[in-house]
Amino acid sequence: MFLIRSGKLHPVYALVVLSSLLAGCGGVASEGFYGKTAAPGDNVLRYITGSEPESLDPAVPTGQPEARLLMSLYDGLTEYDPRTMQPIPGIAESWEVGQENTEYVFKLRKNAKFSNGDPIKAQDFVYSFRRALDPELAAKNAYLAHYIKYAEEYNSMRSFVRDKSGRFLLESDLNGEKQEAAPGTQPQADANLSEFRKFIDGPMRLTVPSDEKSRNAALEKNPKLKSLVEGAELVPVKAEDLGVEAVDDYTFRIKLKQPAPFLLGLLPHQFFRVVHRGTIEKHGKDWTKPENIVTSGPFKLKEHHPYDRVVVEKDPNYWDAEMVRLDGIAFYPLEEQTTMLNLYKTGEVDAIYNHTVPAAWVDSVSKFKDEYMNHPEVAIEYYTVNVTKPPMNDVRVRKAFALAVDRDAMAAFRKTTQPLIDFTPEGLFPEYEQIRSEVYARELKKIGSSLDEWKARKFDPEKARKLLAEAGFPVTQNGSGWSCPNFPVDQVEILYNTNDNNKSIAEFIQAQFKQNLGITLQLKNQEWKTFLNTRKQLEYSGLGRAGWIGDYMDPMSFLKLFYGPNNDSSTGWTKPAYDKLIDDANREPDPKKRFEKMAEAEFMVMQEQPVLPWQTQKTNFLRKPYVKGLYPNPGTLHAWKFVYIEQDPAKWDRDVETIFNVKDEWVTGHINRLIATQASLVEREEGYKTAGKFGY
Amino acid sequence: MIGFILRRLLIIIPMALLVVSLTWGLIRLAPGNFYSDERSLPPAIEENIKRKYGLDKPVYQQYLIMLGNVVRGDFGDSLKYQGQSVNEIIFRHLPYSATVGVLAYLLALFFGLTAGIIAALRQNSAFDYGSMATAMLGLSVPNFVLGPILVIVFSLWLFWLPPARWGGISNLILPVITLSAIYAAYIARLTRAGMLEVMRSDYIRTARAKGLDEKTVLLKHGLRGGIVPVVSFTGPALANLLAGTVVVEKVFAIPGLGNIFIQSVLNRDEPLTLGIVAFLSILIMIFNLVVDISYGFLDPRIRYE
Repeated sequence: MFLIRSGKLHPVYALVVLSSLLAGCGGVASEGFYGKTAAPGDNVLRYITGSEPESLDPAVPTGQPEARLLMSLYDGLTEYDPRTMQPIPGIAESWEVGQENTEYVFKLRKNAKFSNGDPIKAQDFVYSFRRALDPELAAKNAYLAHYIKYAEEYNSMRSFVRDKSGRFLLESDLNGEKQEAAPGTQPQADANLSEFRKFIDGPMRLTVPSDEKSRNAALEKNPKLKSLVEGAELVPVKAEDLGVEAVDDYTFRIKLKQPAPFLLGLLPHQFFRVVHRGTIEKHGKDWTKPENIVTSGPFKLKEHHPYDRVVVEKDPNYWDAEMVRLDGIAFYPLEEQTTMLNLYKTGEVDAIYNHTVPAAWVDSVSKFKDEYMNHPEVAIEYYTVNVTKPPMNDVRVRKAFALAVDRDAMAAFRKTTQPLIDFTPEGLFPEYEQIRSEVYARELKKIGSSLDEWKARKFDPEKARKLLAEAGFPVTQNGSGWSCPNFPVDQVEILYNTNDNNKSIAEFIQAQFKQNLGITLQLKNQEWKTFLNTRKQLEYSGLGRAGWIGDYMDPMSFLKLFYGPNNDSSTGWTKPAYDKLIDDANREPDPKKRFEKMAEAEFMVMQEQPVLPWQTQKTNFLRKPYVKGLYPNPGTLHAWKFVYIEQDPAKWDRDVETIFNVKDEWVTGHINRLIATQASLVEREEGYKTAGKFGY
Repeated sequence: MIGFILRRLLIIIPMALLVVSLTWGLIRLAPGNFYSDERSLPPAIEENIKRKYGLDKPVYQQYLIMLGNVVRGDFGDSLKYQGQSVNEIIFRHLPYSATVGVLAYLLALFFGLTAGIIAALRQNSAFDYGSMATAMLGLSVPNFVLGPILVIVFSLWLFWLPPARWGGISNLILPVITLSAIYAAYIARLTRAGMLEVMRSDYIRTARAKGLDEKTVLLKHGLRGGIVPVVSFTGPALANLLAGTVVVEKVFAIPGLGNIFIQSVLNRDEPLTLGIVAFLSILIMIFNLVVDISYGFLDPRIRYE
C-alpha cells in the first residue's frame, strides 16, 4: 500500500477515525448552502438525469431519464408548462377541438425549423406519427397513440374486411348497433370533402388480425365474425390509414377513434415529438449517431459518450432560440445515489433528478431550504390485492387491511411522501378533487355515510377489526395487543421486488398489520423482472407492491388502470359498470361533468378496494439555488428553454418550499407570451392569477 | 513449446462456446425479458417486439442463430441500447476499465513487491510486522468501504480531488488507489512468502558460495523464483481488472465494462451479456496461457509437454 515504506500507520486507520468524526457534523458549508455553491461561468447546466439513455430516438425509450434528455432535443405540438406540466403551445401555435373531443386541428407556427435548417411542416408530424406507430419499429410507447383512429389497428397489423360487393365492413355490422356507436361520425354531406376525410370521419371499419393464426383464433371465438369474414377480401391497415393529416403545410389534424380530452396533455410526451424524415431514411438505425442526427428542439446534440455524458448545445435554428438562455446542458447518466450527492456537494453538478436523496440523508439535506425540492408528484405508492383468491376475495378483508395502516406515521417514516387514501395522487388535481368531494358526499349519503367518515380511512384500526370480524375472522384483545387466530396467514403474503427501500416499507406495513389486527404476514421478495411476471400473472397470494406514474396530467392516467377486462391493475378486478363510467367520462365535452363521471368511477373502485393506496410520492431532489426556472413539477420533466443560470446571488431562489408562490418575471413572461395565441390557456392562467398562484 | 501453445489456443474456442451456451441457458431460465416493465404492454405491441427480435421462432432455432452469430464473432445489436452493436459497446468501454485496472495493478505491483521483498529480507523486524499487518487490513477492508472513505476525505473535506466521473488525471487518483489496495496487499503477502521460501533454497546458497554479491543473488536468482506465485496470480487478476470492477466503477461513475455487464444482466439484454461473457472467458483463458508460458522463463525447472 502506498505508505508502507515510511513505516507509518496505514491511511485507512486514520480515515476510519476521520469518517466516524464526520458522521456527526453533517457538512454544513458556508452561507448555508450544501457544499460548494458557485454559478458556472460557461452558462452550461450540468444535470444528472438517471440511467444511460436507451436511444436518442424519441419514439423508442420509455423511461423518465430519456424523457428529460429528449425534451431538450425535440419539440412537439405542445410542451409542458415548467410549473404544472399542463400543456402549453409548442410548434402548434393554437388548436381547435371538435366532433365530441375526437378531432384536434393544430395551427403550426411558420418559423419552426429542424437543426439543419429545414422547415418543420405538418407533413413532418404526419411522418413522425406514422413512423412511431410502424409495427416494424415495435415501439413500446405505441399504446399512448392508440386513441388515434386506426393507430392501434395499424400498429397491431390488422386488416380491413371488404366484402364481395367491394364495401368495407363496419364495426356496427358486427355489433348490430346502428351508426350511433362511434361519436363524431355523423354522415358528412359536404361533397367537397376529400376521399381521405370521408373515410377517416366515417364510421369505424371492422378489422381482424392480418396474421392467419391469430385471425383464425379470433374467428373461432366469434361465429358471427366468422360468417362476416368468410369469403371476404382482407386489406391490411396501412400507415396512410392513420387518423393524422396535413390539411395544408401548417395545419395538422388528428382524428381519434374515441374521445380523449387529455390528448393535449399527452402530446408533449417524447413519443409525439417531431423527427426529421430525410435523416432517418438516409441513415437507418444509425440516424441518432452524433455525426448524423438532426433534431427539432431548443438544443442540438454536441457529444454523446455513453455511460459518461450527453452534451447538448443551444440550437440557433430553433424557432424560439432568442428566449433560450442556457448555452448548453451536460446530462450525466448516473444512478448511484451517493455518487451523485458527492458530485453535487463538490459543485460538479448543478441539479439532480427526482427520488435521489437516500432516506438516511433526508434529515440532514432537507435543512438546506434553498436547494431541497420535496413537492407532491403525479406518482403513487400502493399495494395490489389479488382479488381472485380467498380470503382476499372478500371486500371486507381488503378494506380491513386498507384501514389498518397509519398513513401519517408512514409518511413520517418515509419522509418523502404524503398520505393517500384514494387512487389519484393527492394535491395535484385541485379542480378534480373539489368535484370529487361533492360526488363522494352525494354517493356516501346514499349508503348512510359521510365525507368525514370517508376521510377517516387514513387510519381506522377499530373499524378494520370490526370488518374482519364480519368476514369471519374475529380479532380479540390479547394482553396489550391483538390476535386473529382464524385468519389464514399462510394464504396471504406481501410480495415486493428486491430493494432495501421496498423492504423497509413492507416491514413497516407488516408491523402495522400485526399491531392493529394481530395478523403477521410473511414477506417475500423477487428480483424486478421476476416480480413483474408474478404480479401480472396473478401468481401471488395476498398483496403486491406497486407504484404508478401518470403519463399525463389528468386523473384518467390513473383511473384507466382498472379499465377493461384485461386491465393493467394486476389485481384481477374488473367491472363493466366501471368501464361504462370511464367511457362516458371520455365522451363528455364539459370538463366539469367529465370529472364527475371520473369521481364516480374512482368511488366505485375504492369501495371495492382492489388496491390499498398508501402514499403520494414527493420529488425529493436537490438543485443549486442559482438554477432558476427548474421547478419541482409533478413529473420532474423540465422544459429546458425555461431554465437559466442566475449569476447574481441576490436573485437566487430562497426557501423553495414556497417556490410556486414566488413570481419569476422571466418565466411567467415567457409562458404568457406563448399562451397568448390560445384562448383556453389564457383563461387557465387567469385562473392561477385569481387563485394567487405562482406569485401573481 | 509451440505445440503446447497451439493446443491451448485451440481449446479456447470450444470452451468459449460452452460458456456462452450455458450463459444463454441461464438467461432464458430467468423470468422476465428485456421489454417487461411496470407498465405491461398490450399483447399486440409485445408481438411486434417478438417479431422484430426473432423471439417468435422456436427456441432451438433461436439457439442455433445465436451460436452461428457467436462463431462469426458478431453478437448483433444490444436489445436495450438500440442501434448499438455489442462489439461496439465492448470495445468502447474496455479502455476505461483497462486504464483504471492496469494503473491500479502497476501501483499494486510496485508497493506489493517492494513491501514483500523488504519484509522477507528483514523477517520478524518491525517493518515486517507493520507491513504485513497493513496488508491484512488492505485485504479485509472492501473497496466499497475504502472508496467512499477516500472520497469523504479528499473530495468532500479537502476539495482536492473530484469525487467521481471520468475526466483528467485527478479523476483517476481515487479509483486507482481504491482498486489497487487489495491487490497490493495480496501481492505483498505472496512476494514475502515466495521470497522466504526461495532465499532458503539450495541454489541461493550455491550462488552465495560462488561469491556473487548480495544484490545479484537477490535480483537475478532470488526474485525470479520468488515472484512465481505473483505471476500466477497476475493472469486472472489482470483479466478481472480489464473486465472492469463493478464496485469501483459504480462508486466513481466510471463508464467501464463491469458496470455495463451487470446492467446488461438486469436488463435481460441477452446479446450484450453473451458478448461480454464470451469476451471475458477468452480473455481469462489467454491470460492464463501467457502466465503458463512465462513460468518457463522464470523457473528453468518448468518444461512444457
